[in-house]
Amino acid sequence: MATIAVPLGAQAEQQEAETLRRPALTDYLRWSVDHKIIGVQYGVAAFIFFMVGGAMAMLIRLELWTPDLDVMVSGAAYNSLFTIHGTIMIFLFIIPMWAAFGNFVVPLQLGAKDMAFPWLNAFAFWLIPPAAVVVLLGYFVSPAEAGWTSYPPLSTLFSGDGQTLWALGAHLLGISSIMGSINFIVTIFNMRPPEMTIWRMPLLCWAVLATSIIAVMATPFLAGALTLLLLDRVAGTTFFDAAGGGDVLLWQNIFWFYSHPAVYIMVLPGMGVLSEVLSVHSRKPVFGYRMVGLSSMGIAFVGFTVWAHHMFTSLQPELRIPFMITTMIIAVPTGIKMFSWLGTIWGGKIRFTSAMLFALGFLSLFVIGGISGVMLAALPFDIHVHDTYFVVSHFHFVLFGGSVFAVYAALYHWFPKVTGRMMNERLGRIHFLFTYFGFLFTFFPMHVVGMLGMPRRVAVYVEAFQPWNQLISLAAFVLGFSSLIVIYNVIKSYYHGPIAGANPWRALTLEWQTTSPPPTMNFDDDPIPFEDPYGYGTEASAAYLDAVDEAFSGAAPAKGGGH
Amino acid sequence: MENTRSNTPSISPAAVVVTAVFLLVSVIGINWFTTFVPVVLPDQASAESKSVDELFYILMIIGGVVFFLIQGMLLISIIAFRARPGDHSDGPTYHGNPLLEIVWTIIPAMVVVFLAVVSFNIWTQNSEPKASVNMVDGQSIAINVNGARYAWTHTYVTERFDPDGNQIIINSGAELHTYIGQNVDLTLQTQDVIHSYWVPAMRVKQDLLPGDPAKGGRPTELRFTPVRVDGRSYPVEYPIVCAELCGDGHGRMRGTVIVHEDESQFLAEFYEPAIHAILNPPADPVLRGEMEIQNYICNSCHILDRLGWTATTGPSLNGIADRAGERVPGQSAEEYIATSIWNSGAFRVPGYDQQMAAFGPDVMEAANVMSPEQLYSIVAFLCTVGEGSDCDMENAGMAIPNAIQTVFGYEVDITFGMEGDVDAETPEVEAEDGDGSS
Amino acid sequence: MTSTVHRGQKPKLGVAEMRLKNNRLGMTIFQISWIMVFLAMIVVNWQLRFSYAEWPPAGVAPFDPLLPTAATLALLLSSFLVKRGLDALRAQRLGGFLTCWRGAMALGVAFMAIIVYEFASVSDAAMATQYGITMRLMTGFHFLHALAILAIIFRVYRGGAAGRYSGDAHDSWAVEGSAKLWYFVTLAWIMFYVVLYWIR
Repeated sequence: MATIAVPLGAQAEQQEAETLRRPALTDYLRWSVDHKIIGVQYGVAAFIFFMVGGAMAMLIRLELWTPDLDVMVSGAAYNSLFTIHGTIMIFLFIIPMWAAFGNFVVPLQLGAKDMAFPWLNAFAFWLIPPAAVVVLLGYFVSPAEAGWTSYPPLSTLFSGDGQTLWALGAHLLGISSIMGSINFIVTIFNMRPPEMTIWRMPLLCWAVLATSIIAVMATPFLAGALTLLLLDRVAGTTFFDAAGGGDVLLWQNIFWFYSHPAVYIMVLPGMGVLSEVLSVHSRKPVFGYRMVGLSSMGIAFVGFTVWAHHMFTSLQPELRIPFMITTMIIAVPTGIKMFSWLGTIWGGKIRFTSAMLFALGFLSLFVIGGISGVMLAALPFDIHVHDTYFVVSHFHFVLFGGSVFAVYAALYHWFPKVTGRMMNERLGRIHFLFTYFGFLFTFFPMHVVGMLGMPRRVAVYVEAFQPWNQLISLAAFVLGFSSLIVIYNVIKSYYHGPIAGANPWRALTLEWQTTSPPPTMNFDDDPIPFEDPYGYGTEASAAYLDAVDEAFSGAAPAKGGGH
Repeated sequence: MENTRSNTPSISPAAVVVTAVFLLVSVIGINWFTTFVPVVLPDQASAESKSVDELFYILMIIGGVVFFLIQGMLLISIIAFRARPGDHSDGPTYHGNPLLEIVWTIIPAMVVVFLAVVSFNIWTQNSEPKASVNMVDGQSIAINVNGARYAWTHTYVTERFDPDGNQIIINSGAELHTYIGQNVDLTLQTQDVIHSYWVPAMRVKQDLLPGDPAKGGRPTELRFTPVRVDGRSYPVEYPIVCAELCGDGHGRMRGTVIVHEDESQFLAEFYEPAIHAILNPPADPVLRGEMEIQNYICNSCHILDRLGWTATTGPSLNGIADRAGERVPGQSAEEYIATSIWNSGAFRVPGYDQQMAAFGPDVMEAANVMSPEQLYSIVAFLCTVGEGSDCDMENAGMAIPNAIQTVFGYEVDITFGMEGDVDAETPEVEAEDGDGSS
Repeated sequence: MTSTVHRGQKPKLGVAEMRLKNNRLGMTIFQISWIMVFLAMIVVNWQLRFSYAEWPPAGVAPFDPLLPTAATLALLLSSFLVKRGLDALRAQRLGGFLTCWRGAMALGVAFMAIIVYEFASVSDAAMATQYGITMRLMTGFHFLHALAILAIIFRVYRGGAAGRYSGDAHDSWAVEGSAKLWYFVTLAWIMFYVVLYWIR
């Protein structure tokens, strides 16, 4: 026997590592119908795009260091830079990133063996790499320079062929998103265990359900709009060319009918993550579970009625009022969520894990995005700040302060389940501090430059704004640096992190009632969900969690607490 | 339900007190903040800006309360409810409080309704059409704004006429002149893509939408009334900004609003001199051309070092006179330059695939209307741009009018502008006052 | 192994039942989703009408609804036959299924032939306005769907002729699914038909 050659501690470590039964890294590069593999594929691909889009953001901030054009060769080059930055961040980062967590976590939370349509799931993912190639090819061939919103006639009569490739790529990504969403809806409706009524479903599933409903209803409008754009560019039709009887506002209507709900596609899953993380790490049930679940549906529904607030400066004046009112109404369900989350942590026993820090960071930053959202809804004020840095600030507070912070919270929360190892908490805290303050000082001053008179999407600006822009750029570089910390943490923890065990956070939802990482079919037996997914603090829940620890202690020793 | 009370940390008296303190702090904080408002918003230079800023204060106060409330509760939670070291127990099993949930649904809903009503009132008040607009000399005139990549052009369709009975149109380029108290009502038209006309100091913004030129385009309207800003010495200049992405030069598509102190200053410093200059152009066609060409949007696409133009959408005009004779076989330099202005589609410089805007005596866009006399002087000016001009410089007064006659069949009155001091004629018919502008 | 956490291996639904249930719900959601693209095209048609003082625009003759009405009736009948065929298969009458689907495909081809003719015969005057352009957009877009789905129907028919499907719903999802796609084509066309030919 060779045991003598191996020191005792190392042997134990080796044994533990063998029990992880992780897929080989090469499995992630192949076609697979396992939702856990697909989830990781989505996640890694999306994070790579996040880094590409982030590098572009760094270039944008470098260009804006001085009022003149210096880094980029022309204004058009700058335009295509932020066009691709926006396209990557929306279509190739946030939306696929939520598909990543949705794919990995939702079937596990439902105690299911896989998604409803595993093959379709894999197909939806594998549409993304070719779509990304098409979009990026467009960037290098003859870049689209009309912004991610691609308003005609700039995008039809005045833009290069990259615009055609951009539209084709966006088309593919939209179809991928529809297929993924159909899969989620069917999975959530059909594959719950019999004990789990819709009112006992984890809130992440509620959020993914609401998101998927929006995606299947709205994304076809994007497909329609892009079809018209392609026809105008390639087939000589005149849908957006006024000289041929077309109408430029037609694009704005159809595009925003998709793209405003798309904002909720990007943020609702983050809200679902927040409900999970806040409850688990403050050891307290979600406050007002039903209202939190229903408000997701409320946001999804009202989200379809507000699109024209993006057109406040182009729409006929008398049509602007109803959209102002619907837009303001959105604040109500969003407020319900904010207050319910505060009610969740209030009186709890908060564990300051990295996941919890990012969740608290979300609360603190998203409220600013919410307030500026109501300000933008107020029509007379919006007229002043429409298409300025105020808007840039607002949507970064929602999509970075909201979505990205939730992505990080989800990463720290579920990384142990995905890899079987814990992430480094000290690095996580450092990462949080850099991200939080980097973010705050990047995007908060943008409100002010916007109100003072700096429009968005400009490579050159008046000298008076230079101090503000230099502050913003400096903070942006700090923010950019912060993402290197998390990359290092992920790689280090993947190989050397402490073994997590089945349920390191002592969470009640079903994804924790199996080994980490879960076996191929997720559960060795059909799991029975605890009567309440967030019923912390009762004897029954403690007994349930102890039973879980006991059931899996043979597979991997439980590490207790969550510290 | 009796054990609910022991499990209700969310409505403990301490929480109520702390919340009240934070409300107080937030109100004080907001008052303090309003002293900084001039730092975050430009001058309140229009009547509209006053009400918009009032709405901004209201939004800031309500937003501030929400902000301090939520950040405060977050801070308290972080400090008061952190798990003590070694405490691995769970928090209280507290699922919610329907009353509290109703409260935080109803109160935000009421706040939202309040904000909607306030915004609606300000909006209707600001967008109400005004009785007398663009008043100059007791008459209402039309002020048009033309947006083209990447320049603003303002034209004043005056109620004055030159000795031949033509209505005088002042082209003030990127400058909008107005005076305190004038109800400005602009008609906006774009020649190419969507632009957005934004005057931050006036808090107004309106998109310019491409329309069918055959149907007169798709004009949009923008209204504001300048007011006095204390501590400024008039005339004051405020920036005009393009707020909708329009391409390469979007960032440098800027203009200036010049607010004069009163109508007499407006007339004395802008209006009358402009009309006088139109009626009495420099006798030298080259000088006149140098003046004329700057009234058009040429600078938005071309390079011309002599005038400081830097745009690169179209071919450079530097040295144009040296090349003009060789561009099109059989066309003289004068004919080539005249053709490329009035009939720009006739020849495309290699490497530039964008169609130049149309100029001429009967084009749709008011800003692009160009009489044969104006063309004559602009060609005369361009003939001097270069080192060894291809143009017939000795006989410019003959060669250019002949070229225009040959190509377009227009007679050029080369004596134009050579009469003595001419004054504009105001129409005598009273009835034309109201709708005289078209 | 049964505990508070695990119920043991007790399948809730058989694999085949689960798959059928998923397929049916998935198809319904797909139909609700994809009909939105057709609605988007109707929005296009509707909004572009405002570019003109009248619709059809002055100088453009309105489309003659006679042939399209015949095509619509053919499509409706075709859909009905598809349904009859499905019922026949469920009742174990393979011959009835094949006959009905042959008829349905013939009517589908007739429908598409008329649409191609209509598409081709849009006048130049109409094509100079959005009246003609949106008509070609809508009929062309619908035609591509009809073509693809008719190809699926044909494949399934061939499978049926080869005896691949029994009457049991669990192993004849392809028949049910392709039938539902054909209903979708029919519904989408009726919306377009009303908008294109009857709403002036």
